[in-house]
Amino acid sequence: MIATVARQQLLSLRRQRVFLATLGMFVAMTAAAGILGWSSHNTIVRVYDQAVRLLAAKGQPAPPNPFLLKPELSLLSNMVIYVPMLGALLALLVGHLSLADDEITGLGRLIFSRRVSRAGYATGKIVAAAVALGVIVLVAMGLSIVSLLVANGALPGLAALGRLGLFYALSWLYLMVFALIGMTAALLSRRRSLGLLSAMGAWLVITFAIPQFTSGVRPTASLNPIVDPAGTSQRFFQITARARPISIAEQYKWASGHILVTAPAEPAWQTVLRAVPILFAAALLALAVVALVRRHDFSRSSNGE
Amino acid sequence: MNGPAIEIQGLGHRYNGNLVLHDVNLSIDRGEIFGFLGHNGAGKTTTVNILTTLLQPTFGTALVNGHDVVAERYLVTADIGYLPSEVRMYPHMTAAENLTFFAELSGLTDVKRAVAETLDYLNCSELADHRVGSFSTGMRQRIGIAQAIVHRPSVLFLDEPTAGLDPAGIRQLRQTILDLNRDLGMTVFMNTHQLSEVSRVCTTIGVLNSGELIYNASMEETIRRFPDEKSLEDIYVRMEGTLP
Repeated sequence: MIATVARQQLLSLRRQRVFLATLGMFVAMTAAAGILGWSSHNTIVRVYDQAVRLLAAKGQPAPPNPFLLKPELSLLSNMVIYVPMLGALLALLVGHLSLADDEITGLGRLIFSRRVSRAGYATGKIVAAAVALGVIVLVAMGLSIVSLLVANGALPGLAALGRLGLFYALSWLYLMVFALIGMTAALLSRRRSLGLLSAMGAWLVITFAIPQFTSGVRPTASLNPIVDPAGTSQRFFQITARARPISIAEQYKWASGHILVTAPAEPAWQTVLRAVPILFAAALLALAVVALVRRHDFSRSSNGE
Repeated sequence: MNGPAIEIQGLGHRYNGNLVLHDVNLSIDRGEIFGFLGHNGAGKTTTVNILTTLLQPTFGTALVNGHDVVAERYLVTADIGYLPSEVRMYPHMTAAENLTFFAELSGLTDVKRAVAETLDYLNCSELADHRVGSFSTGMRQRIGIAQAIVHRPSVLFLDEPTAGLDPAGIRQLRQTILDLNRDLGMTVFMNTHQLSEVSRVCTTIGVLNSGELIYNASMEETIRRFPDEKSLEDIYVRMEGTLP
């Protein structure tokens, strides 16, 4: 029954225009990250080549190619921003669409007048979201590999591929948190617009508000990892900065930065620890979705808009 | 299977502190087409929601095919079909895909065959590969009935099945209900406002007024009891006491 629910949800999702449009945007941004990386790489290499020729003409030694000093995956550093921005919005939509149709159109009445367990139904929906996001993340990973191939003129090595795999696995887990937020909001709201808006509110808080508090109101905290969060004289923000380990947006960005070798080095165990609050949030939200489905009144349909 | 198809004893439901269903007692034999009448908000849909296991009663018991709707939910749902009012299926999926989904949820093994046979039985095989989102109300209603009977339940619940249908659609639905009752032996429990349909289709009726069952008898007995009334509409109005 879990497989039946998951299969139906994936089929339905695949045909929804709003989902396809958001997916197209995310894939386009992933490709753009590659193109931007390739373009800046190309420009710098061209300037470097000109400089080498100029220096050689003057009989001076040339400095090493800057890209030989940079990590192989640094071209994808923009992805660390695109995933929490566009990717998380796409995940919210996946979660919202998973339950909103059944909840608002009254299809839940048809489903639960069958031999369907509520826990099985909720699990099927979560599995569908996990598979959908898994496919999206795999497509993004494929595009990233193509970008690296074009920019570097060779396929990334095994170590780089491993790091890329780890980065996208972490991204999948992070996106699952938002898919589950989308589901929770759909279950708690009887209006489609309110369900989506409250989920987006949660996204704004997690992505922008909390990182500001836990980084001492550093303006760039929403986009870039902040090394010294407690470097503020204000007592309030010194206190809020202590909550940093549970700021999943910051932990995601830091862990991703370490995986892609674009952030200052830290021990591997510390990077692993950064994934724990994300995993914990996903598990907690999954349990909440199952519990909410179990006690939800599917006997009534609402008007939607 | 012996005993009545549906048996309700002292059934009640409270919603937000208000008593919307009060001490309802009702027994419906197998093979009956039962018309459940009552004004808006009388508690008809609440009764169907309880009988289809979507809602738990606040007090009293309800048995469908001898199984308790609360304690034996899975046994009840295995053998009932349900068509809510204003049925909406997954609009992005075809009729066949929708039916396949509901057939699989019902645990059918030969799903493809069940779907094809059901569409054929309802004379709507031509709709199989079209997306439900493009259907008219009448077409959606036919697919709605198809999902309700794809697993060949013995009891079928219909909640305002004629809502939004044109006269031709109503006539087609009436014939479908009679066919299902005759060909497949289904007991039909129908909430409706359409008194003309009730008099043409139903074998027994019940009237619910403000959550209380005020009348329950066969159509024959009803006509016998109210010899002065010209139509079921007159009988119904008199029962509800809305005429001076």
